[in-house]
Amino acid sequence: MKTSSATFTLLDEAFSGIWRARRMVLLSVLQIGVSIYLVGVFLLFAENLSGITETVRDESAITVYFRPSSTSVERENLEKFARDSHYVSAVRAVSSAEVRKRFITSWSSLATAATSVEPNPFPDTVELDLLPDALVSRSLPGFLTRLAAQPGVDDVQFDVEWIRRLRGVVTLIQTAGAFLGLILALGAAFTIANVVRLTILLHQDEIEILRLVGAPEFLIRGPFVGGGVVQGFLGALLALGLLALSFHGVIRYVAATKNVLLGVFVVKFLPLGPSLLLVSGGVLAGLLGGLLAVRRRHIHG
Amino acid sequence: MIEFSRVTKEYRGRRVLRDVTFLIRRGEFVFLTGPSGAGKSTLLKLIYHAEQPTSGRIVVNGTEVASLSPGKTAELRRSMGIVFQDYKLLPDRTVAENVSFVLKFLGMPAAERKKRTYQALRLVELHHRQTALPEELSGGEQQRVALARALVNEPELLIADEPTGNLDARLATEMMKLFSAINIRGTTVLVATHDQALIKETGKRTLTLDRGMVLGEGEKVSLPPQALGKRDPAETLGHEPRWRDRTEPGG
Repeated sequence: MKTSSATFTLLDEAFSGIWRARRMVLLSVLQIGVSIYLVGVFLLFAENLSGITETVRDESAITVYFRPSSTSVERENLEKFARDSHYVSAVRAVSSAEVRKRFITSWSSLATAATSVEPNPFPDTVELDLLPDALVSRSLPGFLTRLAAQPGVDDVQFDVEWIRRLRGVVTLIQTAGAFLGLILALGAAFTIANVVRLTILLHQDEIEILRLVGAPEFLIRGPFVGGGVVQGFLGALLALGLLALSFHGVIRYVAATKNVLLGVFVVKFLPLGPSLLLVSGGVLAGLLGGLLAVRRRHIHG
Repeated sequence: MIEFSRVTKEYRGRRVLRDVTFLIRRGEFVFLTGPSGAGKSTLLKLIYHAEQPTSGRIVVNGTEVASLSPGKTAELRRSMGIVFQDYKLLPDRTVAENVSFVLKFLGMPAAERKKRTYQALRLVELHHRQTALPEELSGGEQQRVALARALVNEPELLIADEPTGNLDARLATEMMKLFSAINIRGTTVLVATHDQALIKETGKRTLTLDRGMVLGEGEKVSLPPQALGKRDPAETLGHEPRWRDRTEPGG
């Protein structure tokens, strides 16, 4: 028998088997869909929180405020100190005039007040962008203390703890999601295995007949494994569909309530990579379930 | 084609076949007969390797059957056509699907499968019931579907276990004519039957099994009728026992 013809026969038999046991398969697909949906919810949360952390981190810079009495040498020394450290990727000196301009742009209603006050009440500042690794470095607080102790420095602003906590939450959700994903994927595999096993029990006579008329073993077991894979695939597609529906539902709800968060953070649906991961997980769970079900002790040789 | 050399088969210490030895040559038409429980079905199962002999040697088509792997066993079965006593039709497939699925294993294209299936069903006069499910058919019709399935791949060896058990006299005779026609085309045919009238009518070689042993060809069964189970009315009238309508528990 040619490989292409055998594959076609196998798929044909797998789909026929699914159609014959369609009610049971439907229940199984629903159950698998719910399991994978829960994993998807975790992935979606983790993906968006991770994005938010990246945004916060990218937009985070250390701001060093100088005393009005600070000299240009002190400011240059601080810039050099920052550049020589292993924490900073970019140093931007912002003059007091520039700070006032930014304030006027951001708070236009207070523009008159800001321009009328002389001398300029805004201090000279230096903005320091951090290297990605610096944020998680344990020695960052020490660096901030040393910055504050530099001559001419009035204040240093950077809320490292908040970002750290956010990152911690994201890591926790990602870890919990991965763990839950594994448990649910195994659960889905066992669900599929049981459905396939039940199908095998229901078709024991058919299997015996197939054997007696000389059906090759792969064509007896293969359709059951194929059935498991198809169930896993359909379950994953169902989960993705449900996930998309609930995601857009939540977005519409938040938009309707004019929640302030909507303007701050950009939330997005699962990108292609994690979506494919979900589908592959469903297919793998189906394959595992199918293989578990057709072990020799279930299909008597 | 089929060679049994001192074959014994035991089930939990009970001997079903004892030192069975015979040879069926390629192209022969042979009847296998004997009373209920004589071991006919067991003998057939040994041929298609659904059972393993306790001792002895079985060679089918040049291959020693007992040592065959599952893959080779499937191959051997694909070269045969088997009509089972209980038909063994797939209940949730139509008549046409029941007949054609054997051809799927051989990798036959769909159009050719459809053509062959129609021809096989036409042979057994069931071409008008292609879409029916087995449960919608009578016992005789189911038996004919089983026969069509056995014939559809033009086997080298046709084995039939009570193929006329549920057919009326006309269809039984037609079926035997069909077997003869298939045999003339070169297929070896082995038919297990109770129907002595049918055997006489065709006049083919007969192997008679009695209490697990093959009697000399032409030799009659020496058992008293009571030992054969229910008394056959034909015997009461002093005629040849027909053994029809008796099932064989456990083969």
